[in-house]
Amino acid sequence: MTEQPGSAQPIRKPRVWAVGGGKGGVGKSVITTSIAISLARRGKRCILVDADLGGANLHTFVGMHNPERTLSDLFRRDVDGLQDILLPTRFDNLWLISGAKALLDMANPAHVQKMKVIRQIFSLHADHIFIDLGAGSSFNVLDFFLAAHEGVMVIMPTPTSVENAYHFLKAVYYRKLKRVVKSLKAEKLVDEVLAEKVERGIRSPRDLVRDILSVNPDIGCAIATNMKLFTPRLIVNQVRRGEDLDLGSKIAMACRDFFAIDIMFGGNIRADERVLASLKARRPTLEMFPDSPFADDIERIVRVISPSTEYRNGRRAYAEL
Amino acid sequence: MDDVLTQSYEILGLMPDASLREVEQAYNNLRALYGEESLATYSLLEYADRQEKLDALQAAYEKILSEKLVKRDEPVRPDAEPIICRLEPIEVSADPRETPGLYLKQLREIRGMTLRDVAEQTKVGSFHLECIETGRFERLPAPVYLRGFVREFARSVGADDIDAVAESFLERYRQKME
Repeated sequence: MTEQPGSAQPIRKPRVWAVGGGKGGVGKSVITTSIAISLARRGKRCILVDADLGGANLHTFVGMHNPERTLSDLFRRDVDGLQDILLPTRFDNLWLISGAKALLDMANPAHVQKMKVIRQIFSLHADHIFIDLGAGSSFNVLDFFLAAHEGVMVIMPTPTSVENAYHFLKAVYYRKLKRVVKSLKAEKLVDEVLAEKVERGIRSPRDLVRDILSVNPDIGCAIATNMKLFTPRLIVNQVRRGEDLDLGSKIAMACRDFFAIDIMFGGNIRADERVLASLKARRPTLEMFPDSPFADDIERIVRVISPSTEYRNGRRAYAEL
Repeated sequence: MDDVLTQSYEILGLMPDASLREVEQAYNNLRALYGEESLATYSLLEYADRQEKLDALQAAYEKILSEKLVKRDEPVRPDAEPIICRLEPIEVSADPRETPGLYLKQLREIRGMTLRDVAEQTKVGSFHLECIETGRFERLPAPVYLRGFVREFARSVGADDIDAVAESFLERYRQKME
């Protein structure tokens, strides 16, 4: 066991990732856990946060049966902070903050409580923190997604998953837009433009920002610049057919067109029976089948998204996938 | 360059100096991206917005095409050799007047050419060539461009009477579309 990422460590800002995408059962938790395990193996100190309150099971993915402390202890104020519910896993450099046993009424914690947890996540001492979000597009999920340094969406090449992903993306986009508009005190201007939505032919966020820009260039420019910073990543899981290989880049293209945002396509993960086999054995796929296509694809994605790669190759790394 | 033309290039996501091939490619890609059966844009757009998007694409494509074809008809060197040389006539079972699409397909196959080969020679996208062969009229552009497409296609596979093939194809197109 390596040393606990406690307060005695030199201060190091963690990179916070939030993994969402709308639909349940697309493989968010398997992928989140696998990426964290892979980085932990490379010596990066990683913390998994199970924020799927009400349906938390990340502990099972790391082979832990009964997490002794969970977020519910924090919400019940039995402990002081996130630091106190950090659980070591049987992997070096990997810790878990479990969401298990959170009661149903905790699935939607009060705003103050949520903000407190978000603040604490950012002050944990680690290299990477992965927040596994629940399905759906509740404010809870959206706020974690927007608060993180990196938002990752996981989808499957099915109409239902794509539909939920777009629903999620629209919800996140508008929540962010609303905040940006509020911070610029431009609510009135935006409302005025939106009131003429039909006359102006506004059919997409891109159209909306374009029209705000034409009415008030300063505010329009500030909004556009802020929204451009929203660059979620996309992983396509359970790819079976060749024609789905470019689904991710096509979605990125459609999003540029519709939202005027850049989606960073992180890569495809091939459908692999061994994932299910390892789940049943309650062992991480990376450990049980290190040479599987799934493990290959995870390693490739980690190489693309880990900061050292970004530093070397810049954004080109995404385009090359 | 007029505004509509500039805008047309924008709609296709291209710079105004894009080649005909790039235009064809961008048009085909975007058509596929916003087509009703496309998974990548499933549920992103309302039905009416999707139709409008497709119409805008079509209009942009036709606008650029008309511009490009006008330019191409201007002879650069009046005495230049035609690029495509005449092929020996070959008999196929399909009748150019009855089933012009099938006739072109048979000629192409008998000459051992792929759709891509024909596209290369004619600068008409293989998507449209295939629509001509299979008679998917609803996917084809307006007659004013279509005539040129069919003629180029017929020429490249060495059809006997290029005008007759084009005429009978357009006749069928009008019957279906009107």
